[in-house]
Amino acid sequence: MLKLNNIEVSYLNVVKVLHGISITVENGVVVALLGANGAGKTTTLKAISGLLRIEEGEINDGTIEWDGIRIDKKNAVDIGKLGIVQALEGRRVFEHLNAEENLLVGAFSRSNLKDVKADLNMVYSYFPRLESLKHNIAGYLSGGEQQMLVIGRAMMAAPRLMMLDEPSLGLAPMVVDQIYDIIKRFNMDRKTAILLVEQNVRVALNTAHYGYVMENGRVVLDGSADYLKGREDVKEFYMGISASGEKKSYKDVKHYKRRKRWL
Amino acid sequence: MDILIQNIITGVATGMVYALIALGFALIWKSSRVANLALGQLVLISSWFTYSMLVQFKFPFWLGMILTIAFAILLGWLIERLALRPLIGQPILSLIAITLGLAYFLEGFTAFIWPQGQGNLPKVFPQTSIQIGPAMIQQELLWAAVISLILFILLSVFFKYHRMGIAMRATADDQLAVQACAVPVNRVFSMSWIFACVVAAIGGVLISSIAAINYGLVETGFKSFSVVILGGMESFLGCIVAGPIIGLCETFGGSQFGSSIKEVIPFIIIVIVIMIKPFGLFGEERIERI
Repeated sequence: MLKLNNIEVSYLNVVKVLHGISITVENGVVVALLGANGAGKTTTLKAISGLLRIEEGEINDGTIEWDGIRIDKKNAVDIGKLGIVQALEGRRVFEHLNAEENLLVGAFSRSNLKDVKADLNMVYSYFPRLESLKHNIAGYLSGGEQQMLVIGRAMMAAPRLMMLDEPSLGLAPMVVDQIYDIIKRFNMDRKTAILLVEQNVRVALNTAHYGYVMENGRVVLDGSADYLKGREDVKEFYMGISASGEKKSYKDVKHYKRRKRWL
Repeated sequence: MDILIQNIITGVATGMVYALIALGFALIWKSSRVANLALGQLVLISSWFTYSMLVQFKFPFWLGMILTIAFAILLGWLIERLALRPLIGQPILSLIAITLGLAYFLEGFTAFIWPQGQGNLPKVFPQTSIQIGPAMIQQELLWAAVISLILFILLSVFFKYHRMGIAMRATADDQLAVQACAVPVNRVFSMSWIFACVVAAIGGVLISSIAAINYGLVETGFKSFSVVILGGMESFLGCIVAGPIIGLCETFGGSQFGSSIKEVIPFIIIVIVIMIKPFGLFGEERIERI
């Protein structure tokens, strides 16, 4: 179980980005982190995975606990070995390596080669497309294939918590559905907890069990996925559905702004 | 005809030694995209170290070699720790500038410790020439070529199939993503410098047991740049193919136009290659999806 307790993060000791975030991810649960650009979602993930320090960010206050162990002072490699893996935003594959080599890098910290081999086949069973592309150079794969590769690479670490940063970014709706289907199946088969960062609120809440809404470095709302889907504010501001339940048309857009209730 | 074959064999064998040193350059480039300008100086200092071990302290050859390799490992580790690690995350140009500073430091340091400026290693390989067809070839050159080839195969296999080798190539592509996969980049960098120093040390011992130890070794380092540029910066195969090409151009240029031109030929090749094939023969092209 992952527990963030009131963490504050600043970059370069000057720019304060997170103002006390508390998040809990129970074992085997899919949790979505929602919010607009600049809300601090990615920073939250990086604070957990330890990648923050590489980018001159620092956790100034608060604690992060993973199964009761404090990990907020550990470095990225040690945190990775504890079973937390982050798939970075923007399909960052290793361009000059072929697809299979990309997946093998994901399993770097594991020493049991037999398990790695088995997991390679597991990834290919989730993404059959990757198996036929395994000798292709990753830099030349299509966007959807690269995103599959990045998620597959995270799976290869045999994580107990997988953090995915905007897996839907820049992909066609059909590919997004495919990828989310696989994420859902992976969670059910392997009981791996998943922490999702997503702009595509509809897809995210259909997959997740629980969600947090962030704004300006704070959590402003949280609850079960069904509860969030029912909230007027979430519907209005993140799903583009007005109170009457119909999709909004630009023809009758209101010229005044609805005030957000959580502020 | 005999002269021709003689030239070909000598050229290829000399080129293989350049290729060996070039492997040291490609190693570092492959895992961190840093151009190591201190290549020749690394060869120089490890040759002098071997000289101290074998000539001054009169250690047996095998012990001297073990100590030289140990020295190279320590040197690579120190260079990465003290000179490069503080600069991780800085622009790549600063890293390259640091290797240039390192080059001058090592050269000065060598002159300080070994002021004699010229030395001879005991001959390691048999001195006899052997007959290949109509041509005679120095046996030691052949040995050097064989050792280069073995190292090339070992390194290629390591980078293609070993877990660490694959991770090292991945590090060159995306340093942040590789850390998200729990790859310790610090270790990747220090390993690449240690490997490079060991390769440079082996190359140094080979060359200086054939010729002599002097500042000409630094120039051999520069010639190896033309090998990597012709072969493609990160390609081991490129090194092993381009090395003999440079070697051949040198020997033939030398026999055609005299030995003063010989020294210039590798650098002429650099200019021409950069103009017509900037990624080299086997280099990775920058991937741009349209």
